[in-house]
Amino acid sequence: MTQERTADRPRVDAYEKVLGRALYAADQPIAGLLHAMTVPATIAKGRIEAIDATAAQNVRGVVRIFTHEDFSQIKTTPAARGAYGQPGKGHQPMTSPVVRHRGEPVALVVADTLEAAIEGAEAVKVRYAPEPFSARMEDELASPEAQPDRQLSSGDAEAAFAAADHRIDVEYLHPQQHHNPIELISTTAAFEDGELRIYEGTQAASAFAGGLAGMMGLEPTRLRGVSPYTGGGFGQKNGIQEQSVLVASAAALLRRPVKLVMPRGQLFHTASYRPRSRHRVRLGADGQGRLLAGLYETVQQNSRYDGFACDHGANPPRMYGYHTWQGNDRIVRVDTQTPGHQRAPHEHPASYATECAMDELAEAVGMDPVELRLANDAQSDPITGKPYSSRHLAGCLRRGAEMFDWSRRIADPGALVADNGDLIGLGVACGSYKGSMTATVTTLRLFASGRCEIATSGHEMGQGIRSVIAAELIEILGVDPAKLDIHIGDTGHAPQHITAGSWGTGSVAPAARSAAMKLREELSVLTGAPLSEEPVHVQLARTRRPSLEVTVNTIPLGKDAQIIEQLRRGIPSTTGPEYPDFMAFSWIAHFAEVHVERSTARVRVKRVVSVADCGRVMNRRTAESQVRGGVVWGIGAALREAGETDPRFGGVLNNDLAEYVVPVNADIGAIDVDFIDQPDFKLNMSGVKGLGEVAMVGAAAAVVNAVYNATGRRIRHLPIRIEDLL
Amino acid sequence: MRSLSYVQAKTVREAIEAYAAAGEGARYIAGGTTLYDLMKLGVERPAHLVDIASLEGADRIDTSGDVLFFGAGALMADVAENDVVRRDYPVLAESLSKAASQQLRNMATVGGNLLQRTRCPYFRNGAIGAYPCNKRAPGSGCAAIGGLDRGQAVLGISNACTAVSPGDWPVALTAMDATVEIQGPAGPRSVPIAEFYRLPGDTPHLEFEIEAGEIVTGISVPKTEAGRNSTYLKVRDRESYAFALASAAVALAMDGDHIRQANIALGGVATRPWRAREAEALLNLRTIEPDIALAAGRAAFADARPGEHNAFKIELGARTLADAIMTAGRKMQ
Repeated sequence: MTQERTADRPRVDAYEKVLGRALYAADQPIAGLLHAMTVPATIAKGRIEAIDATAAQNVRGVVRIFTHEDFSQIKTTPAARGAYGQPGKGHQPMTSPVVRHRGEPVALVVADTLEAAIEGAEAVKVRYAPEPFSARMEDELASPEAQPDRQLSSGDAEAAFAAADHRIDVEYLHPQQHHNPIELISTTAAFEDGELRIYEGTQAASAFAGGLAGMMGLEPTRLRGVSPYTGGGFGQKNGIQEQSVLVASAAALLRRPVKLVMPRGQLFHTASYRPRSRHRVRLGADGQGRLLAGLYETVQQNSRYDGFACDHGANPPRMYGYHTWQGNDRIVRVDTQTPGHQRAPHEHPASYATECAMDELAEAVGMDPVELRLANDAQSDPITGKPYSSRHLAGCLRRGAEMFDWSRRIADPGALVADNGDLIGLGVACGSYKGSMTATVTTLRLFASGRCEIATSGHEMGQGIRSVIAAELIEILGVDPAKLDIHIGDTGHAPQHITAGSWGTGSVAPAARSAAMKLREELSVLTGAPLSEEPVHVQLARTRRPSLEVTVNTIPLGKDAQIIEQLRRGIPSTTGPEYPDFMAFSWIAHFAEVHVERSTARVRVKRVVSVADCGRVMNRRTAESQVRGGVVWGIGAALREAGETDPRFGGVLNNDLAEYVVPVNADIGAIDVDFIDQPDFKLNMSGVKGLGEVAMVGAAAAVVNAVYNATGRRIRHLPIRIEDLL
Repeated sequence: MRSLSYVQAKTVREAIEAYAAAGEGARYIAGGTTLYDLMKLGVERPAHLVDIASLEGADRIDTSGDVLFFGAGALMADVAENDVVRRDYPVLAESLSKAASQQLRNMATVGGNLLQRTRCPYFRNGAIGAYPCNKRAPGSGCAAIGGLDRGQAVLGISNACTAVSPGDWPVALTAMDATVEIQGPAGPRSVPIAEFYRLPGDTPHLEFEIEAGEIVTGISVPKTEAGRNSTYLKVRDRESYAFALASAAVALAMDGDHIRQANIALGGVATRPWRAREAEALLNLRTIEPDIALAAGRAAFADARPGEHNAFKIELGARTLADAIMTAGRKMQ
């Protein structure tokens, strides 16, 4: 019981991964496996008039070519891609001759080999009746929704803004972005032991399996979802993919196992992405820099059919004591595939816009940007009036400023110059992310041999969730990590929540901890005495029982037992950020130093300091790694990434990893990470708030603000490229 | 299934004979870093591969004579790390070490690199896009003109094509007046690198001055003292592993403080490796000063024709060249 919880401990699956032994979804050794490849649509909108598969049929090795005529029985349900749980929404390609976006699958070729499948797919000839379309929200045929998706207000912000001494009124543009996890999205469907098993590196095995069963008209118990590892998810793998039900149906119709690994070029069109968005920010402050009004209007580009919400306005009013607030979020519909959640889904673009606007306000007021933020710190939420469960944002700012040596910053742009003549800029920005939790069902079994098995809800996406579970069991039970089996991501072992939104650790840590404590209690009942310092399995052995098993349902704050049933059915069962007595958020402050080469305007991010308040730190190593990863995403967003669409064609033009520019090692300087590490026991017994998402929130804004400090140029779109500063 | 034959040749003669025997759809393959990529994109559909990666002596690097000789089969990584090249011809070494990634440089050959094809996204995006492209389907049109043309060329363009010539090494070789050694069924011949690359004109699908069945066997670079005062500067959208937005190869032959002869070529901005004669002339007999360097940079782009999103390449290209001139100039001090 004396293990240091925040220990810098290696991942429990580190060796397995480094040695290449971890089997991902597409790596499963299945006898008689067939290979599938899709035929992507080459129009942005219209109808399929005819499909000529003759040449494809003649390709040796091709087993069967499926078209929409084979799949009309598939139901488009609220679980379908793009529906986001809303009835009447969503679009499942290949269930009708309708084409709703460029690149969607219009045929599926199944063959004995991958090569035959690819060649067959290339040989399928499709005749289309194309229709006029709009690929971008600026286009004529784009359709703005009449009603806002969300409105939040507090007080008369318009009046307060009009009366403010200092006013900022600016618009920021955030481009379309693509997650690009290294593990490609794949689906493998096989009948094994009388059930249809679907192997996919999903973040949501239960919702996935239940949703697929619904679309296929199968009993949910006949379908098992297995997500052995997720090779990066970032929100792109949080639901049913366009190809999932097609591959599963092909396997069912052929009665043979089928695998499809979607090529990256196609993933830019079939998988989700962060939608393009515009953000108008108005801030009003008095002469001392006290915020009097915040007005925030956003527009997000969606597909025609999706139910994906525009949620930019949820976080910004919680950042500072605004006194008055008014916000609304709107949607414009165009003819693309549906967007979705991408790491810090709305918080990142919202923080980019609002935290850059704060930098503009600091300049207008003549105040240091750190001081401006400290002067407007708040301990309760202006919208609900509830206090925050914990908020150490001021601590993040103060510690970060010290680590970063913020005092060397000069407000005048371009005043700091490096030895080689580069302009030096320093920038700061903050972020927050809701503190959510989800229900879990956990079964823990201790063997007298010392082996220990746990089955619970969660998906290993590289964030280290297995290591978090291990940390709790090591602390409470003193078990040997080498003798620990952790079963997650498999509906055959336990119902699986959607692992997203930074609620994985905050849900699974308390789950593992309560199971471990319950096991100690029951062992103590068995032994008839309080437990000694001896290893628990030795004490169990003395009772002459081979093993001891406990099952614990953990129900997040403010919910009742019904949520367990929801979890079993794969229905999202998360809570937060609003709880009965408080609001819960994680907080972060980022400081960035950029050097801008005068002649070529190249921007280099030399150093970032990030200090996070994520409640208790479960594992210093994986936590620091999460934050560094989030900062790299922020740097990428600020200076590199954008999906490019030619409005004449639709689709994404730079649809590969060479042309969709993400940072490489040479782009990343020092990233120094620290944590407040104060447990938030109001939220849960482990004192954990989320970290994976908040890590990124505000990081891009810190870089953009640093670029301004270096160059005096306010670039109000991302990414900032050479041509913006030349 | 589409069949593919494969033979490994031991000598150039064997390779040429195998190519002729294979007939339609034959392709030579060396490192494979370009050909496999183009096969995946559907640009190339070879029916027969003649592997020339293990031709006897094809990877020879000889710096002992009057010229630097690089066998076409020498790896990019090996030439980039050659001591003489690094010391006496940094422009050559830098153009190689700033290209691709270490993994690719370990596979790719300096001969094959000359034949790399454009990164124009409309050209590459066949599977989903099927965009009009005169390189892929002559006469189909050019989607890049009037489209997303940020990466397109501003020099040497035509109404049929604006695709950028992608290489770095060919740019350095162009500045250094290299010669491409070729062998074919009719025997050996030498082509000055300035003639090896064609302007797109009305036939952008014809890119290289090489006939079917011919093999690039080597590259000769005349030795010059200017090599020591040389550099290759590459500006791109990230610090590594990206193609150039603008690049400049500069070598300066000096007479005391004065430039006797400047050799300059540009990359990332033109439809072929671009020799900048106007800039060279402007530097003649001048001392190395920032304003003169920038004037030379501007002169190189006097005839530039930008599209909708790539006008910045004119200023960036000029400044990149100016920086490269200053860097090359500093090496002599």
